[in-house]
Amino acid sequence: MSAVTAAKTAAPTTPTTSGGGVPARPRRKRVPALWKHKALYLMAVPGILYFILFKYAPMGGLVIAFQDYLPFLGIGGSPWVGFDHFVRFFSEDTFYVLLRNTLMISLGMLIFAFPVPVILALLLNEVRTKWFQRSIQSVVYLPHFLSWVIVVSIFYVLLTTDGGSVNNLLVSWGFDPVPFLTDPDWLRPMYIFQEIWKGAGWGTIVYLAAMTAVDVQLYEASELDGAGRMRQAWHITLPAIRPTIIVMFILAIGDFLELGFEHMFLVMNSLNRDVADIFDTYVYTAGIENGQLSYAAAVGLFKGLVGLVLVVFANRLAKRFGEEGVY
Amino acid sequence: MRKTLFAKGAAAAAVAALALTACGSNGSGDDDGKADDSPITWMSMLHTPVTPDADGPIQTALEEYTGQEFKMQWVPDASKEEKINSALASGQLADIVSLTVTDSTTVRQALKAGQFWDVEPFLKDFPNLAKIDPDTLEAAKLDGKLYGVPFQKIKTRYGVVVRQDWLDHLGLEVPHTIEDLEKVAVAFTKDDPDGNGKDDTTGFIDREESFLVGFRSLTGYFGAGDKFSVDDSGQVHAAFASDEFKQAMEWYRGVYEQGAVNQEFVTVQKQNQQDAIARGKGGIVVTGLFEAKNYVDLAQSADPKTPMKWALVNDMTLDGQPHHIITDTGGGMGGWLALPKSEVKDEAEVKKVLGFLDKLMDEEPFGLMTNGVEGTHYSQDADGVVTIEDQTAWEQEVQPYSSSRPSEKIVTYKSTKPYVDEANEKMAAQEPDAVINPTQSLSSETFDRQWSTIEDKAMDAYNRYLTGQIEMADYEAVVEDLRGQGLDDIEAEFTAAYAKVNG
Repeated sequence: MSAVTAAKTAAPTTPTTSGGGVPARPRRKRVPALWKHKALYLMAVPGILYFILFKYAPMGGLVIAFQDYLPFLGIGGSPWVGFDHFVRFFSEDTFYVLLRNTLMISLGMLIFAFPVPVILALLLNEVRTKWFQRSIQSVVYLPHFLSWVIVVSIFYVLLTTDGGSVNNLLVSWGFDPVPFLTDPDWLRPMYIFQEIWKGAGWGTIVYLAAMTAVDVQLYEASELDGAGRMRQAWHITLPAIRPTIIVMFILAIGDFLELGFEHMFLVMNSLNRDVADIFDTYVYTAGIENGQLSYAAAVGLFKGLVGLVLVVFANRLAKRFGEEGVY
Repeated sequence: MRKTLFAKGAAAAAVAALALTACGSNGSGDDDGKADDSPITWMSMLHTPVTPDADGPIQTALEEYTGQEFKMQWVPDASKEEKINSALASGQLADIVSLTVTDSTTVRQALKAGQFWDVEPFLKDFPNLAKIDPDTLEAAKLDGKLYGVPFQKIKTRYGVVVRQDWLDHLGLEVPHTIEDLEKVAVAFTKDDPDGNGKDDTTGFIDREESFLVGFRSLTGYFGAGDKFSVDDSGQVHAAFASDEFKQAMEWYRGVYEQGAVNQEFVTVQKQNQQDAIARGKGGIVVTGLFEAKNYVDLAQSADPKTPMKWALVNDMTLDGQPHHIITDTGGGMGGWLALPKSEVKDEAEVKKVLGFLDKLMDEEPFGLMTNGVEGTHYSQDADGVVTIEDQTAWEQEVQPYSSSRPSEKIVTYKSTKPYVDEANEKMAAQEPDAVINPTQSLSSETFDRQWSTIEDKAMDAYNRYLTGQIEMADYEAVVEDLRGQGLDDIEAEFTAAYAKVNG
């Protein structure tokens, strides 16, 4: 997504700097227009190439979802089986389990994790001591730069019942140890908490940037009218960053099924697999570990389609509410 | 998911790319069959945390001895299935590929599809390869074809190791029966065997792969088979569905419920397990008997004055039943050193690579990969007793190569290290009691396609049963379910294949 937005924002700003002698009159014919703006299009080339090479070209491999793909026979030599893998997937219980797990966690993420950066940004925005604000900002960004392996390992050391600090504390206070890592009931809260811990600080960047654009006069005017800090945040800051929140929300819905393989794969084990197995991890186990490449591709293709539908739907919804949407 | 698969593929490709650049550059010159001086690439498993330096003393010495340059592509053992599977799927292979997961679906499909050379006709031309035990060769064949040089291992390395110093402290005897083993495990948990006044020890230290490794070995004492067994009427049965296996599960769960197995073993990786043992968190491990020495080394690196002592048990029995020990190396066949046709283009190259492997089985390279360089890593006295002089250098420079030795049985060195000689003797002593998978070289379509999935599901059910999430009836229900998903077909196909071979 970032490449798209970057390309879009780059386009309108460049003519003043690079296309100096270009007349502003619109042209009817396509090719001369292309030629006129060659500098701009040239700048878009790396981005377009990136998408063709790494996003569109690999999609050709999706045909193996309709084959009984064997690596050594190749795509040309493997037998075609039509929709067999899809039929198998939809007729097995696994489908419902995966869908339920993915939806439950995605919902949890939207409800609990999505608002956290907004709130954090509001709080940071209210900090008036500059050096304090800056240092807090740097500290909350830090977890974003840790890989999931590190994050999950830290939580493992804290939460294990075999000598983890949290459980040691619980026991010393007279409680029973809690099997955070293996109890299926704890998987979702733990997962979402880890996502918040790692991502919330980084998520504030966008909102903080949007807040800097708010007209200072608005605050001054409201102060004259006797509005306190809370009222200012509620009636000025929040409405001002509403479009940003909505765009972020649409993007979040677009990623609804895209929970990210790595994190879940690391926290999953035999005991919590029933609630932890999501599309991404299942594709990995079925495809890479158990060697059912075609079946895994079919599951992944289905997931991609549902994700596409969700993005379109969320965008429509945003437009209906009078917002701009992402495209 | 495209992203995920692609990322994984890219990762695997990146791993291979380093070495493949070398391979690719001379690959074009291979067509005329005169590329004899090009380095051999070798994809092999790494069991140690450190990757050895390619210019290190062992590799240099091996290249000197064999007169052949080679490049190792190390695959961390913990992720070998994923890495090897994606390498097979993407065709990013090396001249020699170590395939150690012999029942993996992808590996078997790749072997049977003829992705690799049938090396049997070539073996007779090489002195060491010609001497490979015919039993091992038979066990290594698939459908009568030998798709790689078998790794030759000791058949029965597993056993139970118990903290001798803890036994002494509690005044207990070394356990030789399952009943006593349970008593010791519980005593280790409840009676403060390390005498530090804290309730911080347990009996068994197990890990994530319990079902495939440690516990599987325990089921042998109860009489269960090695993955499969054949009854008197020639029917093949999956071990995890057998009564003996379930009996072992019930026993082990009883031990677990008394707190005498580390409670979160399903989250424990091999490194964490070793760490816990070295720190004295538990006193019983079901593992290779040679590990006792490694545990002591680990414990000493943390605390030079560690009181750690081990008893190595190789005669555990249940209620006067004879002693059985499930082989942990596929009956002495630890996998294949396979030569992919995509990398090794013609017979001349096959001979070149086999010649290299053959030389590695000489005594000198074997010593290099076992003990290192004399004077640098070890010294040897007049009786041939080996002393590792520089433990750190040995761990970093030598140990990584030891699991790539084509044969582990060339020489057995006497050692001044405690437990090494004892382990070697005890492992050899129990070879006659080995239980070996009767279906190893038999063929079953369904097995090749479905086994990985079935075993994963059984393993999940086992873990859930053991930790009390489900009961035995639920485990049996899962097994019933698996019967419909191919287990019945596998048993039937193996039964037919078995009858054909032995009939």
